Amino acid sequence: MAKITIPLGPQHPALKEPENFMLVLDGEQICDATVNLGYNHRGVEKAAENRNYIQDIYLIERVCGICSHSHVSCYIGCVEEIAKAQVPDRAKAIRTLIAELERVHSHLLWLGVAAYEMGFETMFMYTWRDREQVLDCLEMITGNRVHYGINTIGGVRRDINAQQAKEVLTKIAYLEERTKYYVKLATEEPTLLARTQNVGKLPNKVAIERNAVGPTARASGVKMDVRKDEPYFIYDKLDFEMITYHSEDVFGRVVVRVLELVESYKIIRQVLSALPEGPIAVKVPWKIPQGEAVFRYEAPRGEDIHYVKSNGTEIPERVKVRAPTLSNFQSIPYMLKGDYLADVPITIAAIDPCMSCTDRAVVYDAKKGKTQVFDWEELRKYSIDFYKRKGVNFSGK
Amino acid sequence: MSELLKEEELKKELENKFPGELTDITITRKNRIWVSVKQQKALELMAFLKEKGYHHLSTITGFDEGENLGAIYHITDYHVIVNVKVRTPKTEPVLKSVKEIYPVCESFERELEDLFGIKVEGLPEGRNYPLPEGFPKGVHPLRKEVKLDELVKTLDTVKEEN
Repeated sequence: MAKITIPLGPQHPALKEPENFMLVLDGEQICDATVNLGYNHRGVEKAAENRNYIQDIYLIERVCGICSHSHVSCYIGCVEEIAKAQVPDRAKAIRTLIAELERVHSHLLWLGVAAYEMGFETMFMYTWRDREQVLDCLEMITGNRVHYGINTIGGVRRDINAQQAKEVLTKIAYLEERTKYYVKLATEEPTLLARTQNVGKLPNKVAIERNAVGPTARASGVKMDVRKDEPYFIYDKLDFEMITYHSEDVFGRVVVRVLELVESYKIIRQVLSALPEGPIAVKVPWKIPQGEAVFRYEAPRGEDIHYVKSNGTEIPERVKVRAPTLSNFQSIPYMLKGDYLADVPITIAAIDPCMSCTDRAVVYDAKKGKTQVFDWEELRKYSIDFYKRKGVNFSGK
Repeated sequence: MSELLKEEELKKELENKFPGELTDITITRKNRIWVSVKQQKALELMAFLKEKGYHHLSTITGFDEGENLGAIYHITDYHVIVNVKVRTPKTEPVLKSVKEIYPVCESFERELEDLFGIKVEGLPEGRNYPLPEGFPKGVHPLRKEVKLDELVKTLDTVKEEN
């Protein structure tokens, strides 16, 4: 009961959030599933209405520990539109650079988590080791590893010098080599294929109907990527592909993400090779004129959308945040239906929600009419053992 | 303004289809249309938009204007966002559910109920979202009359009672 009083206002299931799944089982197959959200409501929107625009940057950054740059950029996009601020090109380029480094770090993290849920712990160790390279880049440029604090209204707070750019490129070259190996693993490793193919099916039509976004939607062949659909920053000047795949299962979601890593490296190279000269920020008055704006942003997990309304003072009238995971959660019950209980961890992990706080799942056996409570770790072990009995084994033991 | 062709066209189409029902319709920039519609025509307007290919309800934003509460439905075809504003009086705030048109609306509409106290007609009974169970009834934190320090006090009282 203690956690009930922590929340104050609205905030969405972005990351590090407990959620509850009710699974109805027939034997080992899932016949119904519901997702219960809302255990970690922190009241960010109400808090934002009680702080000024600059303070809100640092508040909104804390909506999420992985897409922190995404949320801030989305919020700032709204504020800058209302204030009619002309953001310098160099600032836009630096924002793009940080955005793509963030995507690389997020996708590598996800690849590790997905591998871990499958019992492929070697890959988990590899990807998380490599992810340190990106975090080092982010730390070098922004001074921080998680909440970068690079954005400000009207531009960015730190410039990037030639030495830093060179170092980022060296690290990207290393990661590119490593990613070739991950692409090979993801597409050829028979054990990985056995665990992901035809698991967590989400047909194209259902994905559209249920508002799937980001890699989850693109793996079901939905051509949707805000960077292409409605380019912000400098994405309209960059050459990169929108990755889609048509297998409509967990395998597709792995493939889309590893291939997106390759595209992100391409973008980072292009941004650094043609960094525009000039100032990194313009001054924007504290008081923002009356108005309202809505901004869409392609976060690593998909479409992020913020709405800001101003009333002419230095404090916003309303700030609305919708993180991509909330949109993707609508598809989970569909994906789970008909699958085995052992596929639950990887199916849920495949939309890339925050796993660590997924506190527990309640399992109801329809035949025996009894309820059994699993915590995530137990369910993960159950899942790995289930597949070991079927001969799908990463450890070789 | 050739680059706003698509937006202008949709604006004209909406004006012709719903004469006298739209209280405001503006294009603020490329890809952004804002429409205010009378409540009784809201569902019809959204059904029309969906037919036109605006199939993705990104989210619903609730708002408090003092006399009126309301919701903005951010609807997109992945390129253009149509922001449909619907208002309802604060004395008796009621909106109709859009679940027949956009089945994914449930969690968004629950937010309207929890955070603004707008009754959404047609939304099935369910648990609180996003507010936790045991949150004081009748307190809707995003309404403007709810002040932060008072809210903290109320929540502290609830905490002590438990």
